[in-house]
Amino acid sequence: MQDQNSVLEVEGLGVRFRTEEGDVPAVQGASFSVQRGEVLCIVGESGCGKSITSLSVMGLLPDSAKAEGSIRFDGNDLLAMSQEEIRQIRGNEVSMIFQEPMTSLNPVFTVGFQVMEPLVIHRKLSKREAYEEAVRLLEQVGIPDPRKRMEQYPHELSGGMRQRVMIAIALSCQPKLLIADEPTTALDVTIQAQILDLILKLKEETGMGVVLITHDMGVVAETADRVVVMYAGKVVEEADAETLFQDPKHPYTKGLLRSMPSVDDETYALEPIPGKLPKPGEMPQGCPFHPRCDDAMDRCRVESPRVFTVGPGHTSRCWLGEEEKQNHAGKSVG
Amino acid sequence: MAMDTAVSTGGVPVEAPSPEQPKRLASTWKRVIKNRLALVGLIIIGMQVIMAVFAPLITTYDPAVLDLSVKELPPGSKGHWLGTDEYGRDMWSRIVYGARISLVMGISSVALGLIGGVALGLLAGYYRWLDGLLMRVVDLMFAFPGILLAMLIIAMLGTSLVNVVIAISIWSIPSCARIVRGSVLSLKNREFVMALRSIGASDIRIMLKHILPNCTAPIIVFGTMRMATAILSTSALSFLGLGAQPPTPEWGAMIAAGRDFMWTSPHMTVIPGIAIMLVVFAFNVLGDGLRDALDPNMETR
Repeated sequence: MQDQNSVLEVEGLGVRFRTEEGDVPAVQGASFSVQRGEVLCIVGESGCGKSITSLSVMGLLPDSAKAEGSIRFDGNDLLAMSQEEIRQIRGNEVSMIFQEPMTSLNPVFTVGFQVMEPLVIHRKLSKREAYEEAVRLLEQVGIPDPRKRMEQYPHELSGGMRQRVMIAIALSCQPKLLIADEPTTALDVTIQAQILDLILKLKEETGMGVVLITHDMGVVAETADRVVVMYAGKVVEEADAETLFQDPKHPYTKGLLRSMPSVDDETYALEPIPGKLPKPGEMPQGCPFHPRCDDAMDRCRVESPRVFTVGPGHTSRCWLGEEEKQNHAGKSVG
Repeated sequence: MAMDTAVSTGGVPVEAPSPEQPKRLASTWKRVIKNRLALVGLIIIGMQVIMAVFAPLITTYDPAVLDLSVKELPPGSKGHWLGTDEYGRDMWSRIVYGARISLVMGISSVALGLIGGVALGLLAGYYRWLDGLLMRVVDLMFAFPGILLAMLIIAMLGTSLVNVVIAISIWSIPSCARIVRGSVLSLKNREFVMALRSIGASDIRIMLKHILPNCTAPIIVFGTMRMATAILSTSALSFLGLGAQPPTPEWGAMIAAGRDFMWTSPHMTVIPGIAIMLVVFAFNVLGDGLRDALDPNMETR
């Protein structure tokens, strides 16, 4: 799927960690792309490799990790770049916001100093220009009284305010791609919606692509254009948001949707997915999800499924997908 | 709690534009003052500083001029309230000028040691691949008894106060490097460092501008405690004849010179001995007080 309009194209991304027990794969064969002005959600449980995927896009993997495959940003392969080249892109064309706004700011400097930093690093603004620009950025992310905030230290701000500051920092150089790694997980529910709205609003204004990493299907429903579901380091399903919610194909996705509380339906019973995510390096044979899967067949225990296209722009890494395809094929022939 | 501050600062005008840093300094200062021992230390150090700065004003005799007509006067003699030494030099003048020497020696060797130690510690803590190498070198330096290492360095460089500074600062490097490395290791994994990298800040910028200011507290405490060690070692080396040479009024050298007159004029050894003891004690208790005052656990967030 080569597209002129796509900001980020990840192809066959694999990340391995070197450990004392040998190489442990954290991400295997992940492929997805992000268009301009699109929100791509990567969903999955903690430890399924979604954060590692985002860190490899940023070139921020720990030293013990090795990435392979290709990550094309604006046509350039990020994995082939030198540290210095990728540093020029980080914060400038690709930005990231993190889960913990409480610790993402340096406690010993004022907010203003930290908002001005990328402006000085990448845009080479003078102190005074950077100050004015920082005030404008804080205003843009909806921080009241920005001039006063500039002089305050991070501990004087609430979590939501700090996340807004982080967003201001991330947006300071008008990136083409924003990666948000669980940006609302650490925040109060009322603040969560505000922050998500803010991200969506800024996306509309700037036309940047957004990769939103989350484990919360509610967040996905609210924001996503396309969704990538990851399980145990692999992309198990990819679809546009509506299709995914209406017609999920992979049993894991179905499980995730069932384990999401519903307010509208009072008779609805929460249904957790049994079992837990296998540890990397202790992957079961066959499909990694089969021990937890209701629909597991004998084949799933031996053979890892391929990726099947189950609809337009809708792929699923499950043998059920193959069956369905054959059914379709049978129909079309008959 | 964070919510509360945000809400309250929203409506209530804040008195100072940047209240955090001066406030923290003031509260640290207050906590040090409250600690009685630390206060005593501070006073002693203050006296030493005054003696060092105003030495020519508070003494009437040149510390190096001989006057054999008044040699070996006991303390309390007319014109020489602390007595004189075996060449008739005024003990008070020598102690006062000695204060100057010990302070300069302490500050310069600690400063040099901190520069080296902080640099090594930052590099070792930040770059994992350098860590093993640098820390093994540090271990190697730890394997030498400090004073032996200093003597070795002086034996190579020759006897002089400048070389004593070099020797003591080299010997300060490993412990400082370890302390800084420890702080860097814990800071490096904080999210703000990752966030800084994600905005494209260079390693040097992150290390010097962001991590270093976060380790000031342990560095200040280490520096203060190290002043005591440095002053003591300067005197020890001078006592052994490796540092200050005879006419220089260095406290350790004065003790060495007074040794031969211990039974007839004990004040020649006792007075510089007390001076050394007081100063070392002062820096140690001040260091302790600072450590308590700068302890982040005691801070109300």
